[in-house]
Amino acid sequence: MTQMDTDKPDPVAELPDSPVADVSPASPAAEATPDDPETTGQPGNADNLEPSNPATEQPSSPLDEHAGQRLVVIKHHALVRLSHWLNVPILFAMIVSGLSIYWASPVFVHKPDPITHSRDYLADLGIAIARLIPGSEVNPSWFYNHFAIGVYNLAGALRWHWLFVYLFLANGILYLLGLILGRGYRALLPRRSMIGDSLAMIRYYAGVVPMKLARRPWPHPEVTTKYNALQRGAYASMPIAGALALASGWAMHKPVQFWWLERMFGSYDGARIVHFIVMIYFVLFLIPHVVLVLVDGWDTMRSMIVGWSARIGGAE
Amino acid sequence: MSDEMPSVFVDEKKLRRQSRRDFVLFGAGTVAALAGLWWIAPLASKKRLLGEHATDFLDTAAARFGLTKERSARFQNRALTFDDDVAEALYSPTRSVRMYRRSDVTPLRNNYNGRTPSPAYIDAWTLTLTGLASGTDIVLRPPDLSLLEQHAQVTRLCCVEGWSAIAGWSGVRFADLLRAYPPAAGSKWIAIESSVNLDGAGNPDPYYVSIDLPTAMHPQTLLATRLNGTPLGPDHGAPLRLVAPMKLGLKNIKAITKIAYVVDQPRDYWADRGYSKYDGL
Repeated sequence: MTQMDTDKPDPVAELPDSPVADVSPASPAAEATPDDPETTGQPGNADNLEPSNPATEQPSSPLDEHAGQRLVVIKHHALVRLSHWLNVPILFAMIVSGLSIYWASPVFVHKPDPITHSRDYLADLGIAIARLIPGSEVNPSWFYNHFAIGVYNLAGALRWHWLFVYLFLANGILYLLGLILGRGYRALLPRRSMIGDSLAMIRYYAGVVPMKLARRPWPHPEVTTKYNALQRGAYASMPIAGALALASGWAMHKPVQFWWLERMFGSYDGARIVHFIVMIYFVLFLIPHVVLVLVDGWDTMRSMIVGWSARIGGAE
Repeated sequence: MSDEMPSVFVDEKKLRRQSRRDFVLFGAGTVAALAGLWWIAPLASKKRLLGEHATDFLDTAAARFGLTKERSARFQNRALTFDDDVAEALYSPTRSVRMYRRSDVTPLRNNYNGRTPSPAYIDAWTLTLTGLASGTDIVLRPPDLSLLEQHAQVTRLCCVEGWSAIAGWSGVRFADLLRAYPPAAGSKWIAIESSVNLDGAGNPDPYYVSIDLPTAMHPQTLLATRLNGTPLGPDHGAPLRLVAPMKLGLKNIKAITKIAYVVDQPRDYWADRGYSKYDGL
């Protein structure tokens, strides 16, 4: 294994629980808890989970001064965690109401189908899904009745959309604040090595299932940063996608007062199409995001709730 | 460790306490989010998701905690009002709406919600103005309007449904009508009505919108008589319709029969049906 994108020696990476190893929170290495109750030492400011100076610490041989303490990695600022979870109901509501708004006047349409009477590609997708589900009605409303808040509900959908867009905006500000306060933005900035690292990760993901089936070793590329290169790109793209969703949304919502926004997207319909594509992008992000966090294990999931990780070695 | 991942020694007890607190908050937030979404979700969607009985049960339970249907409607109305307030704050009377060329014109659909009125009404058509400074109502006929200066513009009409069309309009400026027949002092709003509007079955269903005075005073707010060079037909609101391109299409009332200057914000046909009221673009 090679150090791919670190420029200084990393004492913690030498720990037995390296990034590749499966470190469950219950493993003895992660719960390095010395027995000596007498020593107190210099505790980290646990209330703010402020980092102490990791360079001077020797976690591989727990010193007495760290009695009753635990070495953890500070991963996510409280505001980042809060806005992350708030995004779940907000994006859900934005997408289901947005699709019901889309129903009122679809952008991607074709000549009416003689059998289904559909003239809308999204409705066609719904028809294709409905045909696979025994006992379900096959009609152009199916998609909007199951992936949105229904047909003939434009007024209701607009209420949801305006309610949640202001929450989305406020939540985006919370997230950016959290990124700055927790200095998490550093893990999202592009790095020189990201193209090569991304290729290594793509190669790894492509091979992980076949190699498992073949029972051959398939080591995870070493990652010494918070995120691997693909994660870094995907997570960094999220605030950009959010800003694009807001910009294209406001371009259609207020095309007169924000005429320059409408111009930015070429035209009114240009903004509609960008808005739609960003929604698809959010959905496409969500699928591997959820699958990988489930595969990666409890520590990763928990770190988005409590903010810390027991995986001292780094990200996976 | 890299500076992206600061590792730190934390007191075990504090760590456990804080983590427990975070999990409790997470759980409470999940419950609150689910309850909130259920509270504002449309009935049809809830029934599709959980069936009739479970929906009834959960709605009754939610109502017991104060999450009633009435409050849900009021709460969601407030979201609309808030968005309208934002639109009003953004509105600038000096900002002009983007103008297009004649060659940019696209087909404009007749989006009458009900049936299109038969053209018979056009010959007998009159426009009544009330709430004037003079204190008496005035009834205008097409020749009276042709005395005012004629203006033409090619602007985009944006529908709340999501479609839009570029159309060339000509007619008189609302501002000129306001100057010719000044409203009573203290008037803040204009209630505009079309008595010829029909519902889906063809029965009379008067259409009505509210327009604020600053919007009416805007130089691009027209009382249009022509579309793309030809007189308006019954499908586009002959003989006189409102063209306010800084408002959603639903404010651009067709076949106007009455204009009233009033103090309080009048009702809107579509606001009475769950849409927003101000609709500034």
